[in-house]
Amino acid sequence: MLTEKIQLAWQFYRQEYHLPQQRLLRWTQSLLVIFMLALSQSSFSVQQYLSENLQGLLGADALISQYQPLTEKQAQALSAKVDAVSATQQIKINISHQDIWQYISLKAVDNNYPLQGQLLTTSSLNDKAAASVSGPKPGEIWFDSRLFASFDINIGDVLTIAKHEFVLKKIISHEPDRLMEGHNVDMRAMINSVDMAKLDFSENLIRFRYLLSLDSAQLSALTTWQQQQLPGAELIHKQGNHPLATFWQRTENFLGLASIILFFMAAIAIEQLSIKHQSKEQYFSALCMSLGASKGTGVIVSVLKWAFSFLLLLPVSIALAAACHWLIIHYLAESFPNLVWQWHFGLSLKTLLFVSLLFALFYLPVWYSLLNTSVGKLFVHAKSNNSGYLQKLVSVMVLMLVVLVYSDNALLTMMLVTAMAVTILLILLLSWLALTVGEKSTKNLSGLLPFVFFMMKQRLISKSTQILGIGLSAFLLLFTLMLMRDLGNTMSSYQRSHDGNLMVSKATTEQLNYLKRWAKENDISIRQTKSYLHAKLVEVNQQSLTQYSDKPSDSLATLSREIRMHWNNKVPSNNRIVSGSWWQSTTDDWQQISVEQEVLTDMGLSLGDELTFAIGGKRYDFTIVASHEFTPGNGSITFWMQIPTTAVAHIQASQYAMASLEVSKVQQPLLGQLWHKYPTLRMVSLQQMTAYFDTILAMITKVISGFSALIILLAGIVILASINAVEANEQKKNSIIMSFGFNKETCLKLNIIEWFITAMIAACGAIVGTYLAGLLIYQSEFSLPYHPDFTWLSITLFIILTSVMSLGIWASKKSLNSSIRQLMAE
Amino acid sequence: MSSAIQLRNISQSFSLNKSTVTLFNQLNLTINQGQSYAITGPSGAGKSSLLMLMSGLEQPSSGEGVYIKHQLESSGTDSIADEQQCSLESLRADIGFIFQQFHLLPELTALNNVALPLKLRGDKAAMKKAKVMLNKVGLQDRYHHTPIELSGGEQQRVAIARALVFEPKFIFADEPTGNLDEQSAAQIADILFNCCQESNAALIMVTHSLQLANKAENVYSLSKGHLHQEKTAYSAAEKITESLTASTVEAIC
Repeated sequence: MLTEKIQLAWQFYRQEYHLPQQRLLRWTQSLLVIFMLALSQSSFSVQQYLSENLQGLLGADALISQYQPLTEKQAQALSAKVDAVSATQQIKINISHQDIWQYISLKAVDNNYPLQGQLLTTSSLNDKAAASVSGPKPGEIWFDSRLFASFDINIGDVLTIAKHEFVLKKIISHEPDRLMEGHNVDMRAMINSVDMAKLDFSENLIRFRYLLSLDSAQLSALTTWQQQQLPGAELIHKQGNHPLATFWQRTENFLGLASIILFFMAAIAIEQLSIKHQSKEQYFSALCMSLGASKGTGVIVSVLKWAFSFLLLLPVSIALAAACHWLIIHYLAESFPNLVWQWHFGLSLKTLLFVSLLFALFYLPVWYSLLNTSVGKLFVHAKSNNSGYLQKLVSVMVLMLVVLVYSDNALLTMMLVTAMAVTILLILLLSWLALTVGEKSTKNLSGLLPFVFFMMKQRLISKSTQILGIGLSAFLLLFTLMLMRDLGNTMSSYQRSHDGNLMVSKATTEQLNYLKRWAKENDISIRQTKSYLHAKLVEVNQQSLTQYSDKPSDSLATLSREIRMHWNNKVPSNNRIVSGSWWQSTTDDWQQISVEQEVLTDMGLSLGDELTFAIGGKRYDFTIVASHEFTPGNGSITFWMQIPTTAVAHIQASQYAMASLEVSKVQQPLLGQLWHKYPTLRMVSLQQMTAYFDTILAMITKVISGFSALIILLAGIVILASINAVEANEQKKNSIIMSFGFNKETCLKLNIIEWFITAMIAACGAIVGTYLAGLLIYQSEFSLPYHPDFTWLSITLFIILTSVMSLGIWASKKSLNSSIRQLMAE
Repeated sequence: MSSAIQLRNISQSFSLNKSTVTLFNQLNLTINQGQSYAITGPSGAGKSSLLMLMSGLEQPSSGEGVYIKHQLESSGTDSIADEQQCSLESLRADIGFIFQQFHLLPELTALNNVALPLKLRGDKAAMKKAKVMLNKVGLQDRYHHTPIELSGGEQQRVAIARALVFEPKFIFADEPTGNLDEQSAAQIADILFNCCQESNAALIMVTHSLQLANKAENVYSLSKGHLHQEKTAYSAAEKITESLTASTVEAIC
């Protein structure tokens, strides 16, 4: 018996294969399967990679990092608290060999290195890596493969750094503590600590990193000791956050959100399609029953047919998902070195089961309706009353399931769902209002417009559903595009307003004086110089940073490391005060501070709050008296934190300077003189800075473009599904209109007007929903200030809606292929 | 003076599976406004095609259809009758249809269904006129009921009201009582004829019902490509039966 049912289901499936509603359903399901598989596989790969790192590849159980070396007393105290210590140092310098320059990260290691994990090296680019028991010996230098490839150099060649010679001995394949440094794509070289001392770089430019072996029992004591003795230091440990975890967490939050959005759109599309599915399935079932089959047969055949449809789309979908997964891993490999593509079969099975459960839930109302069908339905075309509500209930259930499984950030999800709910209510209200007011106000007018309002008002429920689908799609697409644009603008603003084509980001007083003399001698213009010192925020209103805020935030992430603090008696010419007031130049109250307005907002700070900084190993308290923001046109060097000049006399810390220079192409070779004299002079060209941000921006753009493409595809499916659902009715309506003495052109005009009204109502809902979503979500979840550009919003919305109208009119043209003869033939 | 539709030497054929099927050949027919016509015939004779040709919605393979339009033009105190001969395409605004399946829009009430053609024409008094029309067909208590809440007979009455509300000159009805029981069919037939008479509209029906056909002033039978005018529908039916029997016997033998 089951065999017969399977055969019947297969036959039914084959017959319906090319029907538009089946094709649209397959597209919807395929897109979601591809997205969910690719997302889950990539997410799992990265999570697995991060946890493996935490287990063995971090090179230590914990790390303390700061810009000063430990004193002897501190070093002894530290050694007493842990099982083992390996001291490393890191500095960014320029090195050259045979007229080729590179800006690199130079690392110096002691004899205890590597503390944990494996240090892998090779003798050539093509050799297999082998573990080294220790780092370079004095007089040796090791390059990473990128640095090695960038020079015309061989193993055994000699290089000079700060007048000291080093022999290139090995190529580094892998450093176990590389990831402890966080996201870093610099080229790298390694020497012995003894040689670093000989190079005599200023200690203030060197980052001292102490790799520690300890157990969890020792960690608590270590943490307390660090907070008291080394407040300016950064402590990373395996029980805490992986350096890359925050970055990946925010990415996952965004992708979890994306799943909800895509499933929501799929729900709309499937709801539209189910109208036709249901009537067809009911008809078939009633017919079978009239021929002697049981009610259960109809349900079983329908379930089997659905199963065939789902199973047969899997091979192509899985192949495409695997390809997308490979692409994602390929992009992420830059941020997560050694991340490799791997297909997790168990996970893919779980994901497919979950997705199939969701799709089955979507189809549940159709199967439920078959339980209520009867042969009587063939005689009387009774309309089912419950299916609409059941479909909506099921859609809500599916969304809740997706939210539970995929969203880590309850607040973000809540905000998006709130924005969507408000948009839905608004669109429904707008639909009713526009159509009611439109009908009443055009009652006494002649022409097609009053008729269109009349017809749309009479079919309010079906039109509202269609408008809702389109409006929500437009809202989601508009919000995504707006977010992408604003993210991009934020990145661009960091470096577009530049003066000078060379930025000196860190120069000691000696280096700056030399720079000024050098610039004068060579007729090079120094556009701007500004002094600063390194400061690390340790407390806000007597609370540690972790106590103060646990929400992911760009500002918080930056402030957990040392930042540059500037001093000035007047408001800098490229800043303006946003709130509060600047200090007097002769003020005795030196413990005042002005904070960048975006940081103030992002961190939830206010005037009067107290900030405690660790500067040069000591703690200093400041009260926020003002906030400022950057204004373009007077130089690009600006600072988040600024204090009175009188404060400098009270703070014992090294002072540095930033400067921007204009160096012509002809003068570029002169830079070599600077680097020979001061290899640690940190300079970067505008081109390099632009390239860095452009890379990040390109990655963000790719991710969001991919997501937008998915939304556009699903939006198209929603529109086609909504048209398909009412196609037969539209055809009949057009035939009836023609029977009143009108022609196809009239029907086309009516169609165009109807789509225009539909698009306009959807537009209003979308733009309000987008504005609301931006208000709720931008600042709290992406740390972006929200300044909606209504001109851009309106133009983009116009483009979206013109496309919607064009697609709608084009897709509806089938309903114009109607004739009065068809009414007679029925 | 009333308007008229003239079919002159109309032939209609079509190709099917590489063979040509001729529905009718050199057919001539005049339909005068204000009169009633019934066209009977066996299934597949081409009755619906003839209806489509008469209404100008399809073009004949050969021959021509002409719409003779009579209008009264006022010039001061005098009225002058004006006759125009145009193609059947200009007939559009002056025709209405009634279908076997009623074809009411399910989302609209009876009142809104009847008002539909007037709304399309921008008639500001659409609802008022629709009410008058519904009263005429005896549905004064059913203004706000949707088709699903009406019986078959009531739905057809709404369809009749809708077809006549914009005062067409010609009404084409394709099996108007085909979906109704005998009693309802009789009621509908009376309503249909009375309304058409009151509106001075020509009524052209295609029907298998002999009782309905007999009510018409002119009865035609279409069979084997020929249109014959009959005295009654019964005589038409007898001829069709004879013709069919002969064909069957021929086929068997």
